[in-house]
Amino acid sequence: MDLSLNEKRLLKVLEKIKKGDPATLASHMDTTAESVIQFALLLEGRGLARVEKKVDITYHLTEEGARYAREGLPERQMLNSFNERIPISDLTAHPLSRVGMGQMRKKGWVAIRDGMVEKTGRDAPGEDEIALADLSRGGKGIALLQKRGLICERQETVYLITVTPEGEALAAKGLDLVEEVGTLTREQIIGGAWKDLRLRRYSLETLPRKIYPGKVHPYQRLLDEMRQILLEMGFAEIYGGLVQSSFWNFDALFQPQDHPAREMQDTFFLKEHVPVPEGYEKVRDMHLHGGTTSSTGWGGHWSREKAEQCVLRTHTTSLSIQHLVAHPEPPVKVFCIGRVYRRESIDSTHLAEFEQLEGIVMDRDVTFRHLLGFLKEFYGRMGFEDVRFRPGYFPYTEPSVEPEVYVDGLGWVEMGGAGIFREEVRAPWGVTHPVLAWGLGVSRVAMLRLGLKDLRQLYRTDIDLVRETPSWQQSSEVRGGN
Amino acid sequence: MAVITLHYRYLERLVGCDRATILERLPMIGSDIERIDEDHVDVEFFPSRPDLFSVEGVARAMRGFLGLETGLPEYRVTPSGISFSVDPGLASIRPYLGTAVIRGITLDEESILSLMGLQEALHWALGRGRSKVAIGIHDLDRVTPPFRYIAEERTRAFVPLDYDREMTMEEILDEHPKGRAYAAIVRDFPRFPLIVDACNQVLSFPPIINGELTRVTAESRNLLLDTTGTDERAVMTAVNIICTALADAGGTIESVLVSGSHIPTLAPSTRVVSARECSSLLGVEFTPAELSLLLQKMRFGAEPAGDDGVRVTVPCYRADIMHDWDIFEDAAIAFGYENFRAELPPTFTIGQAHPVMAIASMVRSLGTGLGYQEVIPFTLTSERVMYQKMQRPYAPETLGVLHPISEENTIVRTAILPLLIEMLQFNRHRELPQRLFAVGDVVEGLETFHKSAFVSLHPAADFSEAYAVADALCRELSIPYTAGKSGDPAFIEGRRGCLVANGRTVGTFGEIHPAVLNAFELEHPVAAVEIDLRAVPGYPSGQGTP
Repeated sequence: MDLSLNEKRLLKVLEKIKKGDPATLASHMDTTAESVIQFALLLEGRGLARVEKKVDITYHLTEEGARYAREGLPERQMLNSFNERIPISDLTAHPLSRVGMGQMRKKGWVAIRDGMVEKTGRDAPGEDEIALADLSRGGKGIALLQKRGLICERQETVYLITVTPEGEALAAKGLDLVEEVGTLTREQIIGGAWKDLRLRRYSLETLPRKIYPGKVHPYQRLLDEMRQILLEMGFAEIYGGLVQSSFWNFDALFQPQDHPAREMQDTFFLKEHVPVPEGYEKVRDMHLHGGTTSSTGWGGHWSREKAEQCVLRTHTTSLSIQHLVAHPEPPVKVFCIGRVYRRESIDSTHLAEFEQLEGIVMDRDVTFRHLLGFLKEFYGRMGFEDVRFRPGYFPYTEPSVEPEVYVDGLGWVEMGGAGIFREEVRAPWGVTHPVLAWGLGVSRVAMLRLGLKDLRQLYRTDIDLVRETPSWQQSSEVRGGN
Repeated sequence: MAVITLHYRYLERLVGCDRATILERLPMIGSDIERIDEDHVDVEFFPSRPDLFSVEGVARAMRGFLGLETGLPEYRVTPSGISFSVDPGLASIRPYLGTAVIRGITLDEESILSLMGLQEALHWALGRGRSKVAIGIHDLDRVTPPFRYIAEERTRAFVPLDYDREMTMEEILDEHPKGRAYAAIVRDFPRFPLIVDACNQVLSFPPIINGELTRVTAESRNLLLDTTGTDERAVMTAVNIICTALADAGGTIESVLVSGSHIPTLAPSTRVVSARECSSLLGVEFTPAELSLLLQKMRFGAEPAGDDGVRVTVPCYRADIMHDWDIFEDAAIAFGYENFRAELPPTFTIGQAHPVMAIASMVRSLGTGLGYQEVIPFTLTSERVMYQKMQRPYAPETLGVLHPISEENTIVRTAILPLLIEMLQFNRHRELPQRLFAVGDVVEGLETFHKSAFVSLHPAADFSEAYAVADALCRELSIPYTAGKSGDPAFIEGRRGCLVANGRTVGTFGEIHPAVLNAFELEHPVAAVEIDLRAVPGYPSGQGTP
């Protein structure tokens, strides 16, 4: 049996005095009572000692209680203050009458008749007075005094440590009390002294201290995973400003100027304006009458002033279209993961800002079937094996599609939107090949993955969420296995 | 979004098949089923298809989609002999009028509900909350034609719907629930739009409220429709959608003479589209004959025209058909989205990370290596958090939003550090030490760029820790810095510094000022660092400016 030095020392003392309280034992071995309890519990675990724990309850008089113990309870003092009978008005003048009067009547010591208080003669000392005279006698009186706030309770844990026959037998065989070494010193290691040292052994039952590695936020890990998938699928990453002109955020995407999304209820508008870019007239014409395409356009009016007002981008598509304008030749295959803004009141399922993922593919001869192919591939790599497609509607794509993925326990869950850019969107910039596009609100996936009920937790983080969420989880294992 | 209630009995009667079949196929025509109830279903339709905002419209589309009745639905219009004049004074107020007479209709509870639902949804989707289009439907037999749409004195009085006394139009805007709801559309005009009959009786005060006189009830047999607004196309679309729905409900449509034209005509329009263009968009080969059959299922008239063309007749209620591709999407829906075989295109491309994102990833790797935990704070914040609680002066390059939703979200962050300190405040009750970092966008002026901030909260946090972290980050990110004196009031004087690289201040570090700790209710020292990542070699310039 591997006893530590301290256990051995305690056992040695116990061998001599058989049993004792921690303070007594501590005085025998030059340590504290608290340490003795620890050592004794270790010995108990080995069956060498027994630790009896007992909670002792003692009662003490409060200040008020101490006064009554000297002078008698208020009702007793009042009872003694008059002979057989007294007018009630005289008695209420007694300084203790507020407490005493009621108690005298309750205990049946007096009766009140015609304004006179009369003794009944049944006034033997009650349980409370007996207890007050001597708290150690206990009994029902203790509870009565406690209720009146005259005594208070004190709890004390008392340990009694006894050696077991096994302990005595082991001690009888003799205990080796050579000092043990905790931390090895440099001198001990290089000088060879370690050969003669007794190294303390540690218990596996004592759990390790919890340390938390520095780590990436679980939500960022999900974003990184998506980013990695898109890079692996051959997409180049784009990045751009949070501030966009309405022109790039709306007009260039063929969103009519009176579209509800362009009202101040839905979008964060800014007071700043930036000039429309060169070639804006073609976008204007597209809105007015469809430019040179088969489109009718939206008709009505188009205001350059309205197009120049800045907004906090409502989607990263504003970056995609600018990238296309700068790169009109095929192939273009880019993605973006970035913060977007909606003017929403914040609650558990709505935020004013969140991450959006978006990918576009512009190439010769790409078709609707290719769009579905990219969606299936991306969601498949995210671990969603079953993907299905339903018609959708987005202002700047035609045809449009809503992909849905199957999630155990939830059924079919809508996962963003997709489509092929309308000709009205690409034609003004001389982009002649089809542009496949899809977008995804990433927070929805994050809620599924992290099991969150409240979207705000992603951004206003309880750091215990970061600390307790394992870095490597089943879903990423599936991916890592490939 | 437009959620439309479809009562099964009426829907089944109009479609001519059972509800189970309808409900199974409904999502594949482009809708989301919101709620299935015992006697009705609530379905959300896309804003581009206002013609599906009534039971009649859905039934018409589903008859085609299910193959029960395909091709163009025909609508006959005969002249009513009634005329309706438009006052030129309305040109700057609410110039456009659409109208029609519907005769011989028998409305029951379900068709009245469908009609009210349609009117409501059109006001929202086409009418932009009645400003662009407003719709009124009247019992024609209570009034005397011809009708006049006039710009009237604001003090003209009549009995509005749901009231039993006369009110002036000004009173209506102040007192009537509908008046208060829509007053903003007309309040600033010197005269108000009004529709009256030959005896000068009031039918309607568009876009606010109808008169009680012409209330439509189950006994009404002949109706007058008015749509008024600021956009001619939308005004006529509303007429077409309501008239075709009421025709499907059993009414006969008659035209009204407005400024020399008979309105409505309910005439379809024609487009010739290319089957080849459709095939190459969808990735499935369709001959003109095959494409025609698909389009007929979507209630277009369609017939092959030449070896590639298809002549498509677009019904008058399809306001969404702006471009040939809108027709091709309908062909895809008729083909069935579930029948497309998904595939990847053959073009080879190479993925490439953006430098800003690559730098951000590197900072994350360094942050975790230094034992810090990442958090992702919001970018919208308040001047209180960004400046006042930090004891920092307001930065003039701060970007404010025009109509913030709450006091907590009035500006875009110019720094991340205040948000990290706020994050420490949320986590006051959590175990120490707490070491947090964040990397992400900030905005100065109109320019977006990346910053990164680090905070360390524990009883022994001090200036040395902050300096060491700042130094480690700069060394690892190859920022050639020198430490300079800082006057940043967020830090303790004598325990703060700034990072200077290439003659520019690119960061601050130090021990947070106790007054700032008090402001954020923190009880231990905080060592902090913030770095402008534009200082990292290779950070691309000019990409974050509109």
